[in-house]
Amino acid sequence: MIDQIIEPWEEDGTLEELYVPEYIKNIGLEVAKYYDFTVEKMTVMAIKPEKGGAIWKIDTDKGPFSLKLLHRRPSHSKFSLGAQEYLVHDQKSRVPAIIPTRDGEKYVEKGGKLWFVADWIETLYQLPQDLEGTKKLCNALGEFHNLTKGYVPPADADIVSRLHRWPRTYERMEKKMNWFRDIATAYSEMPASAVILSVIDMFQRQAQEAINSLENSPYYEIVSRGTKDAGLVHQDYGWSNAQMAEDGVWIIDLDGVAYDITIRDLRKLIVQCMHTNGQWDIHWIREMVQAYHEANPISDEEFEMLLIDLSLPNLFYKNVKYMVYSPATFLNEELEKEVQFIIKLEEQKWSVLEELAQDRKGGTTE
Amino acid sequence: MKVLIICTEKLPVPAIRGGAIQTYIDGALPVLKQQHDITVLSRSDADLPDSEIRDGIRYARVEGGLLEPYRENIVEFLKSSPVQYDLIHIFNRPRLVSAVRELAPDAKIVLSMHNDMFKAEKIAREEGAAAVRNVDKIITISNYIGKTIRDLFPESAPKLQTIYSGVDLERFAPSYSSQAKEMRDRLRNEHNLSSKKVILFAGRLSPNKGIDVLVRAIPELAKKHDDIALVIMGSKWFSDNAVTDYIAYVRALAERLPISVVLTGFVSPDKIQEWFAASDIFVCTSQWQEPLARVHYEAMAAALPIVTTDRGGNKEVIEPYKNGVIVEKPEDTGEFVKHISYLLSNPELGAQMGRYGRSLAEKYYSWDRVVQDISSVWDQVEHAEEYTAEPVLEANKESYLTPEETFAEVANTIEDVIKLQPADELQLPANEESSLNTKHIVADVYNMPENEELESADELQVSANDEVQSESKREKDLNRLKDICLLLLLYYLQEKRRI
Repeated sequence: MIDQIIEPWEEDGTLEELYVPEYIKNIGLEVAKYYDFTVEKMTVMAIKPEKGGAIWKIDTDKGPFSLKLLHRRPSHSKFSLGAQEYLVHDQKSRVPAIIPTRDGEKYVEKGGKLWFVADWIETLYQLPQDLEGTKKLCNALGEFHNLTKGYVPPADADIVSRLHRWPRTYERMEKKMNWFRDIATAYSEMPASAVILSVIDMFQRQAQEAINSLENSPYYEIVSRGTKDAGLVHQDYGWSNAQMAEDGVWIIDLDGVAYDITIRDLRKLIVQCMHTNGQWDIHWIREMVQAYHEANPISDEEFEMLLIDLSLPNLFYKNVKYMVYSPATFLNEELEKEVQFIIKLEEQKWSVLEELAQDRKGGTTE
Repeated sequence: MKVLIICTEKLPVPAIRGGAIQTYIDGALPVLKQQHDITVLSRSDADLPDSEIRDGIRYARVEGGLLEPYRENIVEFLKSSPVQYDLIHIFNRPRLVSAVRELAPDAKIVLSMHNDMFKAEKIAREEGAAAVRNVDKIITISNYIGKTIRDLFPESAPKLQTIYSGVDLERFAPSYSSQAKEMRDRLRNEHNLSSKKVILFAGRLSPNKGIDVLVRAIPELAKKHDDIALVIMGSKWFSDNAVTDYIAYVRALAERLPISVVLTGFVSPDKIQEWFAASDIFVCTSQWQEPLARVHYEAMAAALPIVTTDRGGNKEVIEPYKNGVIVEKPEDTGEFVKHISYLLSNPELGAQMGRYGRSLAEKYYSWDRVVQDISSVWDQVEHAEEYTAEPVLEANKESYLTPEETFAEVANTIEDVIKLQPADELQLPANEESSLNTKHIVADVYNMPENEELESADELQVSANDEVQSESKREKDLNRLKDICLLLLLYYLQEKRRI
């Protein structure tokens, strides 16, 4: 029999909140038969309809597990599953163990996608968003990056790497500033257009400067070393995918892992914190860096990469990029306020970055 | 001859899932099978049997998807095949060549190249060199593609031959024919375009194909020509109507244009001629070094004047101001405005260009001609000398260059590496027709392939979280530098021997 191929599905206001098409649920039940347990209840916990992915909590006669449908192509998913396996078995890291099928396989391929079952960790709770909680999160991130080093993907997996993507990512951000300018101009009557147009040149210039900095940085030297000593970035690290248990911070949702200059995960976390706190706070950043550094020492060149990555207009870009989809509703007063807020916030960034740069002049942070 | 055609791992033949290469093979088979005993090997498909004989052609299908397993399956197929093939024609996959050669030491091998699969990030240098060594002939779909291969593997030069693709001259009826008028009137009525001058774009909606440049040129054009309309025919990827952030951007701009815009979305291949018939000017906005887009043949067959960009192989089929106009700076909306405006203001001239384009299509770009060319390559290869069992020696022979040749080679390579200046900065300012030829020669010499983006689907997603490894520019440059060093060493050794 030929499998029905799993496709992304439409989200529709009339459907239930975590809607998964019936045929996918049925494939999920088929998948469960490969395992040495009997499913008593299957609850959708999260969905990615636009990509065709989902997670269920399954209650079984052997206890609760998570069943996950990975939306990426199988050879890509084999990379992340291999990494998860490596972290659990070789590195004894706090990530959920993959439950093998009856035949000892790590996954089931059905509907053109990979499915896998992992431990369901019941006792997880979110870390507080205060400085102490943030430091724990940073420390766990450093530990994670450190433990991912040395991973060699299985032969049938893609080699998923972002190492060489930095220039393109930067250039793309710079180029898309043109798109934003074009759209804000074409929709000039919308509330947010004027404020966006008033700063777009500045942010584009910042992106160009970041491209120049990258060009003149240790970046090419770092990536020329290849994947052998590179760690894996999580790409979606934060309070929901890193949670506390009795024995420490557990990290979940590893499907997006890729070889990279791993400090990028920390950059994202720093930007997120500054946004939430409403100010660029050097003390807070130093504490985050230090907490990370204790688990995964940051070399001078990685620190430079962190500063360059922070110099991109990340917040502005992240908050306006969805304007392309429906500018006539998106460029509203709410966005106008948000952009005004970001402009103020980003003004504080430069002195903080300069001060941070001083931290590494002539030595390390210690 | 017993001929085996090996297709890519991506799509099956017959082209039930579309695909340019698959359609090309479908188009050529009915004639080729008359003189040869043909087996077509392609990937398996849920809707096709793994083995069948259809219209006198044997089809075998093995599991595809990814290249490596597909290659293993091809090896298995050849090992278990009772047939000794005289000629094996591989499409667009140099990475299949060496494995096939190993199992078919006596067969002639022809490789057809439709794009840049020989580039450093797509094939390892040694593997590419082995592929060049192991084939008897490399057919390319444009001189440009031939040049990209020759630049990387100079020893490929004697094996290269351009065979331009073709177009269905019946289906793509010339705009002045009654057949075209019927399609034209119907579509124009359906979309309220009856009184409009219709500008057509056809192609994938991606930054490389650059439709945004045309959309951004429209407001300026509309100031001078209030009766224009724009038709954007295409989707993200073949048969995929997903909205990428780029498409969203283009759509957002299009919605605000002061003229009628038709976004057709995906149009099935058997219907696209209708939009060609319904249009007045064809515009290709490609920003990347593209092999040579098929739409140019279609526009010529439909007798539309063409505005295209000086990128890759596109200009090879344009005789400037005879069947079309070439935009030298593809990112410059002003240049599009100038050329399109010129054609809009001189409709008789546009029509004349269209007629001339049609005559070119009839003369040079029919499927019959394509098939004839393939057929004569097969014959020529069949009667050529036996494949030399000592490929290494042959390669060495190639490298006994005169010092002048070596120097020229080194100079060329250095030029490639440092990319002296991009083509558009070297253009002469004048625009008189008399200077056009010079300009194009200048462009030919300096217009080196730029490091164009891979158009992987994920590249266009908003949350670019999936990433595929690609070789960095620096690594490529390093490879080039290695080449230079090798050539210099070669030159040194030759000189030394002389002394």
